[in-house]
Amino acid sequence: MKPTESESVDWRSGSTEAPDLTTRERLREIYDEQIRTPLFVAWADWRTRFGFLILAGYLLMAIVAVLGLWRDPSTNQAPRYLMAFENMQYPLGTTASGVDLAALIIHSTPDILLMITAGAVWATVVAVGIGTVAGYKGGRVDDVLMSFSDFVMAIPGLPLVIILAVTFSPENPILLGIVINISYWAGLGRSLRSQVLTIRENDYVEASRTMGVSTPKIIQKDVIPNLMPYITVNFVFAARYVMFASVGLYFLGVLPYSTQNWGVTLNFAYNSGALFSWSAAHWLLAPMVAIMGLSLGLILLGQGLDRVFNPRVRTRMTGKSESTADTDDEDTVTEVL
Amino acid sequence: MSQPNLAAATRDDADTPLLSLDDVEVHFEKDQGLLDFFDEPETVQAVDGISLDIEENDVLVLVGESGCGKSTLGKTAIGLQRPTGGAVRYRGQDVWAANDKRGDVEIPFSEIRSSLQIIHQDPGSSLNPNQKIVDILATPIKQTHPNVGLSERRERIYSLLERVGMNPAADFADRYPHQLSGGEQQRVALSRALLMNPDLILADEAISALDVSLRVEMMDLMLDLQEEFDTSFVFISHDLSNARYFAEHGDGRIAVMYLGEIVEIGTAEQLIEDPGHPYTKVLRWATPDLGLHAGSASKPPMRKIDIPDPVNPPSGCRFHTRCPEAREACRESCPELTGGDEHHTACFRTQPDHEYWDSPPLDD
Amino acid sequence: MTPETTSQQRHGDPTAATDPIIEMRNAKVTYDDGETFVLDDVSMAIERNEVVGVVGESGSGKSMLASAMLDAIPDPGLLSGEILYHKADGTTIDILELSQEELRQFRWEEVAMVFQGAMSSFNPTMKVGGHFRETLKAHDAHVSEGMEFARELLSDLYLDPDRILDSYPHELSGGMQQRALIALSLVLEPNVLVMDEPTAALDLLMQRSILMLLQELQEKYDLTMVFITHDLPLVAALADRMAVMYAFNLIEVAPRDQLIGNSGHPYTRALLNSTPNLDAPLEEMHSIEGQSPAPINVPSGCSYAPRCPLATEECRTDDPPFYDTGSEHFSACHHWETAREEITLNFEAIDDESTAAKTEDAS
Repeated sequence: MKPTESESVDWRSGSTEAPDLTTRERLREIYDEQIRTPLFVAWADWRTRFGFLILAGYLLMAIVAVLGLWRDPSTNQAPRYLMAFENMQYPLGTTASGVDLAALIIHSTPDILLMITAGAVWATVVAVGIGTVAGYKGGRVDDVLMSFSDFVMAIPGLPLVIILAVTFSPENPILLGIVINISYWAGLGRSLRSQVLTIRENDYVEASRTMGVSTPKIIQKDVIPNLMPYITVNFVFAARYVMFASVGLYFLGVLPYSTQNWGVTLNFAYNSGALFSWSAAHWLLAPMVAIMGLSLGLILLGQGLDRVFNPRVRTRMTGKSESTADTDDEDTVTEVL
Repeated sequence: MSQPNLAAATRDDADTPLLSLDDVEVHFEKDQGLLDFFDEPETVQAVDGISLDIEENDVLVLVGESGCGKSTLGKTAIGLQRPTGGAVRYRGQDVWAANDKRGDVEIPFSEIRSSLQIIHQDPGSSLNPNQKIVDILATPIKQTHPNVGLSERRERIYSLLERVGMNPAADFADRYPHQLSGGEQQRVALSRALLMNPDLILADEAISALDVSLRVEMMDLMLDLQEEFDTSFVFISHDLSNARYFAEHGDGRIAVMYLGEIVEIGTAEQLIEDPGHPYTKVLRWATPDLGLHAGSASKPPMRKIDIPDPVNPPSGCRFHTRCPEAREACRESCPELTGGDEHHTACFRTQPDHEYWDSPPLDD
Repeated sequence: MTPETTSQQRHGDPTAATDPIIEMRNAKVTYDDGETFVLDDVSMAIERNEVVGVVGESGSGKSMLASAMLDAIPDPGLLSGEILYHKADGTTIDILELSQEELRQFRWEEVAMVFQGAMSSFNPTMKVGGHFRETLKAHDAHVSEGMEFARELLSDLYLDPDRILDSYPHELSGGMQQRALIALSLVLEPNVLVMDEPTAALDLLMQRSILMLLQELQEKYDLTMVFITHDLPLVAALADRMAVMYAFNLIEVAPRDQLIGNSGHPYTRALLNSTPNLDAPLEEMHSIEGQSPAPINVPSGCSYAPRCPLATEECRTDDPPFYDTGSEHFSACHHWETAREEITLNFEAIDDESTAAKTEDAS
């Protein structure tokens, strides 16, 4: 800045474009940018659409469970070993103890959704925090953070979770989600760091530094938006990991049975020999389909979401792609011209 | 110009240059492999002992081949690169002492930081692809005037966009960088730098990536805005004709760099009409000239095409390995920048009494 | 211009040549089922052993022209028209009719291409020598003889063969990489070398040096060269003939001195005036207003009409054909004579006396 603070430049150009924005217009702008456009772009892609619908289905199940719109599962509420679709009152059939299978599936959903969300959020937030700071700052900070990450990565993940689970027997699904993913962030943090190393060299990051923009702001505005596709995909992976891990751990009997979970159902089904008899197969299949369905929904959503964060796709979708440049990124024309 | 003003200057001193480089050295150590552990690390002497003063509203053009250190010198001048030797002073205040908060800091680093800005070579990568133009240009205003409200900020942005020729401003402001052409992106980068109200802008090959017919337009724009915003420019170019255009129109100087040193400095007219240094003459030969295209591609007035390895610069005068006029004396000692009337050359040939004239020519 | 003179303007045919090596007739490239063209009806002949400089800004279609000569238009582009190649023994090949296998042999053995950005043309995991060997083997050439020739080429280009062949591409400087790429393109002794901005990312000195080297190579190996660039003054030193492209059309073809000193097209003259050069007085340098059109926006009639100071109704409706403006100089402008009179050049072309005389007469 010059020693004298006076504005030697006249900013008023006397032009027509004086934008007097009311709060209402500003809100509408924000809504347009942050909500409407991303949804629009997301919906346009068939994968996101399917993923979204599938997940909406699960969310619906969870709501149904929470609101108590479907009976709670309890023993002997129905004739035993009813097959699926035999009796429409119990559409998925019943177990060896006469428990409504549909109820079991539905009532497990809220806890499972909470668990995978908690686990994914934990893993992603910690990984992004550590990875971006280590990658951007470099030097001593980087060394310390990465040594810590390496240490955590070296601890065998599953045995650690098992030990923690057995020792503390957590029943809160949120806590459970975090425990399952307790060391998941380390690998993700490392790969985010390498991406940040590349982004850091970009000219616009140097320009922000030259303007004196603070490091947290640079990370927030320049670094992370470029990482969003990678982050969303890994968020989904982390969620799936929690789901499969929890199911597996319940199946193994490591986690307490007090919470409802599809893995518990699987465990009971397996132990009752459902694998070997067709009349009990539905007991095994129902939770498996539930698991696969949720996994599929997550994958599709994750794959489709990364398009939302691509500015070229956004502008093309919203029809604002008229540009003075001949650019259209799928067009090889201008590259060769 | 080559004699540094070593006396500490106070802020009130009207003679204090805006920016003063005092025997600045920037040496990079190359990464060593595990097996080279016991060897001395190789150092690249990107900038080697350069002293220079830049005034307010001044224009300085740095010209040279790639690897000569002009980008490094430019970034060191604006405080993005820490020198390994020498000092960089902003209005008398040592820049890095301000950064490290050493000693008596008269001008805080934050003030220095916002006065020295940059425009990059590649406009495509100098703008954040995830931000709209209006947000990109809001950042400098938020940095310098955090109290300015949204409407006023937008107004400033729109008026500057119009000033640089992007009409209608509201339409351009709403776009993402990939929706603009290279020339428009570069004008946004220029606007961003200007919105910081800086004292000096480093234009690092800022027109090299643009189409030939747009370059003159961009240079004209920069020079016009220089008048209005009262800014100095350090303009880096590898092209002598662009350098000449910018220096002449901006009433400034051209400094020719070779392997980390300034070998000649003067006004555009002086360098082109009457070049003192043989390397400047080579640059002249290399600059395509429509009027002189005859004679086709003649042989270059230098002995070797490739530039020496910057890790091992030649002894004495660094140009002696390629200079057509080199003699033994050139290998032994390095000439200083001498001369008068703002035109300085680092070559023994400008000194009629030097032992160079008695020295035998090199034979290789 | 009197009405009589107008009707007597001779139409020219830039494909008329004495000993053409490549003849291109009505070459068109389209990406969109024939709606938009990125190369619009280009006809041109290239003489044996000449150097042709093709000049155009980005977005003019010049790279398409280069790729078309090797039938290397990237998918989904479609190339149509006729491109003939006349071999030294007198036979003629229609490039567009070649099979994949024949095309493979044709490329690199008859016509070779050098792209800009040498770094991306090399495989970073393979040494430079490996590239040469691979190319020789791929074309069933004798490897040791080929490598001997490669060494000769590299030293012609002022490179140390041992050092270069044994290095990885990233270990070489930009100028060295580009020269190594030129050597690689010549190793199978092609007759034609097509170069697309070969010196774009390089320093001034290196650009000029490479141009000098290309001239030496052209003389030594009797090559025909097509040099494509946006930098008019650069190629002017090397070229025998020059062609200017604008908005996917060829708009002017002339011998070098004619094009620079006596151009007959407003765009070329404006381009010459907008290039900063050392001799021109500063006040007379002007940039060109407006922008070149996108492929879908090419105006009917003359594509330069929207930006042309001399445009008339005729220009907006009738697409100008090539007019013969004398001394093998063809210009696609209805008002080529007016262009010479009205648009003064801001420099002096001093080498050719007759050219200088014409410039003075016209101004």
